[in-house]
Amino acid sequence: MDLTRAALPLPWRGWVRLPREARDTLFLLAVIGWTVLPHLSHLPLWCSMLTGSILVWRAWLALSNAALPSRWWLVAVLLLACGLTLWSHRTLVGRESGVTLVVVLMALKTLELRARRDAFVVFFLGFFLVLTQFFYSQSLLVAFAMLVSVWGLLTALVLAHMPVGQPALRQAAWLSARSALWGTPLMVLLFVLFPRIGPLWGVQQDRLGKTGLSSTMRMGSMAELAADESVAMRVRFLGTAPPPEALYFRGPVLAQFDGREWTPLPPSLVTSLQPLADLRTSGPSIAYEMTLEPQRIPLLPLLEAAPAAPEIDGYRVRVTEDLQWYTDQLVFERLRFTARAHLTFQHGPLRAVPGLQHYLELPFGANPRTLAWARAMRRQSRYAQADVQELAALVLQRISQGGYTYSLTPGVYGEDGGLDAVDEFWLDRKIGFCEHYAAAFVVVMRAFGVPARVVTGYQGADTARVEGYTIVRQSHAHAWAEYWRSGSGWLRTDPTAAVAPDRILRSRNLQPEPGLMASALGEFSPALLQRFRTSWEALNNRWNQWVLNYSQGQQFDLMKSIGFTSPSWHDLALLLIAVFCALSVTGAAWAWWEQRRQDPWIRQFAQARRALRTLGLSAQSHDPPRVLAERVRARFGEHGASLAELFYTMEQQHYGRKALNRPPASLTRALRLQARYLQVEAR
Amino acid sequence: MNPFTWASARVQTRFRSWWHARLPRTDTQLLTHRNVFILPTRAGCLFASTLLVLLVASINYQLNLGYALTFVLAGSGLVSMQLTHDTLRGLTLHLRPVGPVHAGEAALLDVVLTSPDAARWGVGLRVHAASAATLSWTDVPAGGQATAQVSFAPKQRGRHDIPALTVESRFPLGLFRAWTVWRPAAQVLVYPRLESPSAPLPPTSAASDGPMASRHSSGTEFEGIRAYRRGDPLKMVVWKKAASAMETEGKLVSRDSSASAHQQLWLDWQSCGDLSAEERLSRLAAWVLAVDRSGADYGLRIPGVELTRGQGEAQRRASLEALALWT
Repeated sequence: MDLTRAALPLPWRGWVRLPREARDTLFLLAVIGWTVLPHLSHLPLWCSMLTGSILVWRAWLALSNAALPSRWWLVAVLLLACGLTLWSHRTLVGRESGVTLVVVLMALKTLELRARRDAFVVFFLGFFLVLTQFFYSQSLLVAFAMLVSVWGLLTALVLAHMPVGQPALRQAAWLSARSALWGTPLMVLLFVLFPRIGPLWGVQQDRLGKTGLSSTMRMGSMAELAADESVAMRVRFLGTAPPPEALYFRGPVLAQFDGREWTPLPPSLVTSLQPLADLRTSGPSIAYEMTLEPQRIPLLPLLEAAPAAPEIDGYRVRVTEDLQWYTDQLVFERLRFTARAHLTFQHGPLRAVPGLQHYLELPFGANPRTLAWARAMRRQSRYAQADVQELAALVLQRISQGGYTYSLTPGVYGEDGGLDAVDEFWLDRKIGFCEHYAAAFVVVMRAFGVPARVVTGYQGADTARVEGYTIVRQSHAHAWAEYWRSGSGWLRTDPTAAVAPDRILRSRNLQPEPGLMASALGEFSPALLQRFRTSWEALNNRWNQWVLNYSQGQQFDLMKSIGFTSPSWHDLALLLIAVFCALSVTGAAWAWWEQRRQDPWIRQFAQARRALRTLGLSAQSHDPPRVLAERVRARFGEHGASLAELFYTMEQQHYGRKALNRPPASLTRALRLQARYLQVEAR
Repeated sequence: MNPFTWASARVQTRFRSWWHARLPRTDTQLLTHRNVFILPTRAGCLFASTLLVLLVASINYQLNLGYALTFVLAGSGLVSMQLTHDTLRGLTLHLRPVGPVHAGEAALLDVVLTSPDAARWGVGLRVHAASAATLSWTDVPAGGQATAQVSFAPKQRGRHDIPALTVESRFPLGLFRAWTVWRPAAQVLVYPRLESPSAPLPPTSAASDGPMASRHSSGTEFEGIRAYRRGDPLKMVVWKKAASAMETEGKLVSRDSSASAHQQLWLDWQSCGDLSAEERLSRLAAWVLAVDRSGADYGLRIPGVELTRGQGEAQRRASLEALALWT
């Protein structure tokens, strides 16, 4: 029985008993698999399948100790992969297609592990693959997974350089961890001091499907955003924090409506014919520090209303007439800056001016029933001459009392491509979320003849603060409205508050279904889930603040704190070089010292021999202490007895049962003293 | 070969021989930072360029974790340089005495590596002039010893210096190669190449010293049989028993005479026919081994050297040494 079992192929005989070659290959394949795994979500399906099957096949080859396929075969698969990449991504040079190709190349190279050079190619491709992971995410989890990958790759590299016998994996893992750990101080030094400069050349930014504010608004697009719990920004107020309902972070202002989509006014109109912003603030300002995640558009969602542009290194910020804060280039890094805001403010022209008519335009022929409804309302005697504010109150009242419901999943309006989505919402189904209410409000106000526009951005924040930071998530994305009133300018109103006050007061959205794990934990102990989530947020926050957000600004702050008055990146480079030189010199000095270091006993013995030579005795380096003792006795007789005794002690201390690591200096002194005594005696 | 490569190869050879001549010969070598050298390997250069690409990617895409990855790899790489150097530094190399060999055969060099402190992994030894594929790898345990064997095949007889040995290591990451060149002081005695196939032994000559000669002439009384030994004259083989012995895969059997134990024989330069000097020495060396196996007395006569009759280990060594060192 046992014989047949032993003769079976290997997999069920245990990892330890695998032959060295097979075990190492399997380990490397596992590391590669782990590195590729996070990529699966954005790789084309064919690439995942191809890579997976190649890795499995290679594992099988290793287990059955079969021959590797011929090179022609590999070239054929590579060509096929290039063709498929071209088909999937339409190009071979972009970032996405590059990642796809690297994954395939990596898998194919495992089928070609013939020489040491091939192994190195796999390792280096592996490091590339780890880097490409950071294109998609730099979160704590990804960082941890990639740390494991790097460790695995280094372990495989160490294994490849232990040619004798079958070294344990654990040992190789420890050895590689040791070199990485010893390299950590160097890594930290480089990370802190290496000058963060801008991109060396323009890189094509692929759309990676990140959520964020958009410069257009379609019915339904905000629902996707609302389901996204990722962090949009972290705000730390340098004073008392305003309540969540006062937090309106102003994003794109959308004034042009074609029946389906809201867009900003065309640029030509913005510059030439826009009514001036004319911001009039009152009351005290609030200072805050904002850490903003990268946005899809070159715009800073600042807290309303910002009196001046924040200072951000490397970017110029300008304000438009409708109070949008634009950066001169797209922001791909996390930005941290301080800004101010006045919560009570007015803006816009006080009197009717040319340019306001753009905020009255409605698409021709769209939403006829809503327009008819508005005309009918206007014809009522009590509204015929009503003030703009009364009209707004009328609309809000209808929203709160007209049977409207707030829902994140209202379904699609204007499905058949029609222009009457607002009709459908306002008069028929009456179910929707912020953007439906904002859009309908603006359409109705315009129908009343009141200039109005949609403002998008973020509203509210998490009620729990994390280490002083107020967290604003993508799910806090919001749309509200502004209408113009003569004598006051633009007035903000939030139609959603009329139907769902909770959304505004406590920033409580309708929560999408939580994941399985979270819901189980939530049912078991909601408090625990909350605590877990809070500390996880805190950890993430630190990670963002200290690692991901570390940029030139922080470097310069650091330089200033150590005494540079106006640091530049040249200073940083010089500082880095200086530190490296200092470290090298220290290293060289240490090596020199270590070279000179001598066993203390040998040094003592050399001193003792020198002392004997002053007495005219021969003392060679190969004479043991015992022989020297005999010589002392022979020459000086009883006079030399105590000196000879010292030599015996010396021998005892080095070779005896109770040998000392470090001989006592008193013995050296005694030896010298005795030698001098004998010298005097001899005279 | 174009003149440039020829010249550069020549300069390289000259430089190497000059440099090796500077190295002191010693049988026990302690490796310190004075005699261990280190340079990046080709993989190390590839690694450096990988790091550069990673760095550029991190700069262009503003990836802070990309920077972290690049720097963690750079840190590990730099640390690995120190570790590679440490793998060799502090080792003590000791060459065990090398036994004599015949020209054309491999002389085995037993090198004992002693580590006073930490364990050393992946230490490779080879003869300096041999290719990198001949490296013999060993691990040295912490505070212990390990033995590595390398071989070289001397082509000429005589007393030869042991060639320079290279000890190298690429552990742990293979980005750097640390090596040392060591010239052991020991010499190896190389006997002449054995003639193959060996010629039949010369006839037992009537030697000038009487008593032995007379005993030799009466030495044809056979006293029994024994297993065939290489070098037995054909007429000593018991052919009658050979056929049955072959069938049962047995061995050939020779007649044993009381004389064969004391049979004496002169292996003479003159009896080698008209061969060149080296060929004569080869033939004599083969004869010495053959006669030694048969256990007979023999003497050796070569121009300028005459070894009186004798047998056994001492006689064989003396004879072969005389042949090895004959000029």
